[in-house]
Amino acid sequence: MPELFRPVDYAVPAFIILIIAEMLWARSRAPEKYEPRDTLTSLALGTGSTVAGALTGALVFSLAMWMYENRLFDIGWVWWAWPLCFVLDDLAYYWAHRTGHRVRWFWASHVNHHSSQHYNLSTALRQTWTGFLAVSFIFRIPLALIGFHPAMLLFVGAFNLIYQFWIHTEAIGKFPRWFEYVMNTPSHHRVHHATNPRYLDRNYAGVFIIWDRMFGTFTEEVDSEKIRYGIVRQLGTFNLLWSVFHEWVGIFKDLWSAPWRHKLSYLVREPGWSHDGSRETSDMIRARWLEAQEAKAD
Amino acid sequence: MAELLQLAGSIVSILFIAWLARFWRLGGDVRIHSEAHARDLAEETLCGFNPVDIAIDKAGIAALLRDDQGRHLLIRRHGVQWAGRLLDRHSESRLDQNFLTIGTGEKTFGTITLNLGEQAPSWASGLRHLNNGPHKTGNTHA
Repeated sequence: MPELFRPVDYAVPAFIILIIAEMLWARSRAPEKYEPRDTLTSLALGTGSTVAGALTGALVFSLAMWMYENRLFDIGWVWWAWPLCFVLDDLAYYWAHRTGHRVRWFWASHVNHHSSQHYNLSTALRQTWTGFLAVSFIFRIPLALIGFHPAMLLFVGAFNLIYQFWIHTEAIGKFPRWFEYVMNTPSHHRVHHATNPRYLDRNYAGVFIIWDRMFGTFTEEVDSEKIRYGIVRQLGTFNLLWSVFHEWVGIFKDLWSAPWRHKLSYLVREPGWSHDGSRETSDMIRARWLEAQEAKAD
Repeated sequence: MAELLQLAGSIVSILFIAWLARFWRLGGDVRIHSEAHARDLAEETLCGFNPVDIAIDKAGIAALLRDDQGRHLLIRRHGVQWAGRLLDRHSESRLDQNFLTIGTGEKTFGTITLNLGEQAPSWASGLRHLNNGPHKTGNTHA
């Protein structure tokens, strides 16, 4: 096994420099793009996420190693395994991310990344503390069962994470069409973070936007419509712990009060689902919005 | 030991960045400046909410809106953005002359005091009679 460095360790200083550069841009162009308390919350979530990852990482790695020991193919460390692993890991990320939005159990962990009403580079570092609890890793480690070494998975996963940092910005418009067609870009990811009904639950890609095009979840950014960021029901607080745990608390309350036959649904159905129809899912919001648009057009 | 040093470095960095954001006066002072603005914010907060009556706080930091179904929506400033809640029978309201203090029942969302001038008593009365039934507010989805 080759000696591998930890890409994120080298990327962190660049993250900090780029955040400061973007803040300078905001200072001269649009100061409202940053909010000091929001930035602090996002960065604290990022630091906490690193700690949570350090505490649970060994366990996840051990599980991946166990899968690797029972692998189907001996892929080893051949050169072509690296790009192939990167692409397959990105595909696995797409499904993990899509599930993270469509199944409340996983959403409870992933919502942390979306709860800022700002969209800047500090938002990129707004990561979950409860990914291990949500078992989100189950989507990406099965590649070890195919025959990719867990160290390789960790390595390409780190580059995936680093790629996704720079797309969290409003400072960049759109790239040439060929690039926007293949790669995830700031434009595509702004759509993903938007709460505008037309954009809800779209563009789940990590690095390659082609997955969204292939699986029917792609939506193009519309220049004429101002994007609103965050979650449908904005938190309205910068409280760090509430930002981390609010959806878990919501799940617990629903599990406690729901009739027995509906309890499981509050875990596995989409966020916003309720047994009495008193809430709205993103599909319901979009349908209502579409109806209103059609009524306006008539 | 190296991990602890890394963590300490991260904490120092984030505090520095947050300080820098404040030092450079990033953020700003947003206000609701008109009924049209309040209407836009209502649509952003709750898609399809069509207010028929609007009361804006004198300082522009919050607004109360009522739609034709009698639903009351509270919008208040959150940093340089806006956050809102559909009020229901769990909400609390307290009238003190021109000032109406509203609590949503959510501790983290807090309470907000609106200076509504002469309109305050009628809105307070409206809130007292609030009985909307089930609300579509439980969703936190992005």
